[in-house]
Amino acid sequence: MSIFVNAITSNAFQTIAQNTDACVKIETGLKAIGRPAFTLIDKNTDKETRKYAATKELLYQLLCFGIYVAVIPRVFKNGGYKLFQKIFSKEGLPKFRNAKQMLAYYHLAHVPLNIRKDRQYQKFWDLIPGDIIDTTNKTTKFPNGTPIVEYLRNWEKDKITEKGKMFKLAKGSIELSSIIGSVIGLTILAPEISHLILHPVMNELGMNKETHKQTQPRETKVFDKQA
Amino acid sequence: MGLGNLAYNKLKNICESLGEHNDALYAVLAIAVFKGVMRPTFTMMDKKSDKETKKYAAFREGLTEAIAFCSYLITHKIFKTLAPALAKKTGKSEKKIANGLSLFSVCLTAGIIIPAICNLTLKPVMDFVKKIGDKKKIKFEDKTEQNKLNIKENSVNPDTRILNFNTLYSPKISQNAQSLMDALYKNRMQNYNMKVGG
Repeated sequence: MSIFVNAITSNAFQTIAQNTDACVKIETGLKAIGRPAFTLIDKNTDKETRKYAATKELLYQLLCFGIYVAVIPRVFKNGGYKLFQKIFSKEGLPKFRNAKQMLAYYHLAHVPLNIRKDRQYQKFWDLIPGDIIDTTNKTTKFPNGTPIVEYLRNWEKDKITEKGKMFKLAKGSIELSSIIGSVIGLTILAPEISHLILHPVMNELGMNKETHKQTQPRETKVFDKQA
Repeated sequence: MGLGNLAYNKLKNICESLGEHNDALYAVLAIAVFKGVMRPTFTMMDKKSDKETKKYAAFREGLTEAIAFCSYLITHKIFKTLAPALAKKTGKSEKKIANGLSLFSVCLTAGIIIPAICNLTLKPVMDFVKKIGDKKKIKFEDKTEQNKLNIKENSVNPDTRILNFNTLYSPKISQNAQSLMDALYKNRMQNYNMKVGG
């Protein structure tokens, strides 16, 4: 039990759990394994139908995964973040150039202060440019504004400050645009693209819909991909 | 406060709350809801398939998404109740455990629970729905058959010889008739031996 709890409370698992992008990728990947597997063990239908449905389901889920990886981070995550930067311009959102920089910052901010500078987190430090400054916080040391990385050196996790709230707004805007992108990608784009791609691919694999139809009863004809 | 300000504040609140805590459940629920609405709509809009197949497929898709939505919610609720007990037992942060359990429940539901429930329930439910549909169809067909039969029974055989042409085409006007329409109607009933309300 403690191994399980240790695993789900680890920093990596926590970061994934808070990240829409990663969650949807995992969910789609699991669907690509689970659904064809359950279709194959379904004893209500004949072997050929099961094979056809499982292959179609696998291809559909792989296609969804591909569309998700290709479209969502580039278009919705970054595009959405930039749009929200404009919408919330008067809130003083940090001027990260893309969502990846912001998420690297967010990741480091949630690592305990004493291990934050460890070597394993160096890749996240590298992503945050030193010239990004928070102009709303001018001090005698930083008269033009505080460099964002300075917060990471001093800002403890779970410390609810106005600055913390500001970064939560940035993180939330990335997550919201990812959710919108996931919905559009998986409910509109994927079915339309699959309609164009799936049948030719199934034909190439020797699984012709017409010959398949002849060997199965009417009620199993509409054996389409599931959720 | 203007509508623009209200929308701005609402959007800001949503973003802040998602930034504070983004549950793995939010995205999968949103996907299930939109799939449950969009996919049956797209299926019904398809002009290539026949109406019955479209109805069947759309209902099946809607049902699958409804199962997915309910499964995500129920498993999330069940796993969430385990968090305080696990926190007490292991001494770890309850919030972290709840977060982790949330993702775990989503994975478990997507990979195992939903396909298993769909396998077990979809076919019986769809068979039941189909049976109801067939019963309705048979009833409708029976009615139309009967109507056709009535028409035949009551229709005049074209080969029948008309013995008394005058009884048919020289109607006697009823003595009790109040108007011309009344007279014609009553006369028609008498000629064809039809019972009103029969």
